[in-house]
Amino acid sequence: MTAGLTLQGVQYRHGMKMILHDVDLTITPGKIIGLLGENGAGKTTLMRLITGSAKGKGTIAINDATVVGDRKQHVSFTEQLRGFARETRVEQVVNFYHDVYGDFDSQRYQDMATFLQIDGSLKLSSLSKGMKEKLIIALTLSRRTDLYLLDEPFSGIDSMSRKRIINSILQWKPDDAIMVISDHYVSEVAAILDEIVVVKDQTIFTHEATDAIREKYDVGIEAYYESLYEKGNDYD
Amino acid sequence: MHFDDKIPIYYQIKTHIYHEIITGTLQPGEKLLSVRQLALDVTANVNTVQRALSEMIAAGMIDSKRGKGNFVTMDETKITDLKTQLITEQVARAYQQLHALNLSDEEILTSLKHYMTQRGNVE
Repeated sequence: MTAGLTLQGVQYRHGMKMILHDVDLTITPGKIIGLLGENGAGKTTLMRLITGSAKGKGTIAINDATVVGDRKQHVSFTEQLRGFARETRVEQVVNFYHDVYGDFDSQRYQDMATFLQIDGSLKLSSLSKGMKEKLIIALTLSRRTDLYLLDEPFSGIDSMSRKRIINSILQWKPDDAIMVISDHYVSEVAAILDEIVVVKDQTIFTHEATDAIREKYDVGIEAYYESLYEKGNDYD
Repeated sequence: MHFDDKIPIYYQIKTHIYHEIITGTLQPGEKLLSVRQLALDVTANVNTVQRALSEMIAAGMIDSKRGKGNFVTMDETKITDLKTQLITEQVARAYQQLHALNLSDEEILTSLKHYMTQRGNVE
């Protein structure tokens, strides 16, 4: 049994265009991963491949579950609240999650909603970008599962909310669960990441432990990440 | 806690706790917060905090008692040694930086004394 997340030879095309190829990746249980890359590099596509909402070639396993139907039990990913009408109220979305996901923990949701100050009576159409992100995070983390995917959770969020979100991640992530947080700007989360995975040139360009980067190269994670986009970087 | 992104986080957490032990904020035999509480306290990852703790346990500064938690060592000699070690590290760093400015040992001593006098006058 291989615990954790494993991708082998994953490839994804959109029509004639190659989006991702030769993606091999192994993440061990309990890790918090920063999934980095420029806008359009394929970070969201990679998440959608992992959940099975995008279909590509290759093998993807979460704690040995390889078939999409089985995999969905092991991963929590809330994609932009698509599929809900604009006038849907937050509490209706929460009820839907409760009904659809057997592992949805309502108490946990309430705790997080209180902490993140989410008002359940609001309509989705009236939520600010930051409030919507908070809701997505609370919904995603309220499921008790093995893998959590957060797609750019800090976009459009002020620094106080960012602190609360980071705190929620640290507080509510089960010890053995993997958390993947995508971002195109690493400095906001660098201190809580175990490892970074950089998507570049349609594949996994780098996968390294953050403290190993600091130790080996004597640079910060942000400086290291930026250097990958400069010509002739000396970290080979 | 504010981290320097260039220095391994586990190392910064370790240094932070060592400072608390040396200054007496954490007393000999005092129980540490749980790993998760510590992680929230300093805003770091549980794995990173665990690594810092493992190193402090290996160094004998923290005693891990199964099922009970982590405690600051009762061994005061170890705490004194740690203090000496940290002082030496700080002094070495300052010395090397001044030495790199081509100051002689004599001049380093003089400048240090001068600084301390000046500082005394200000306070």
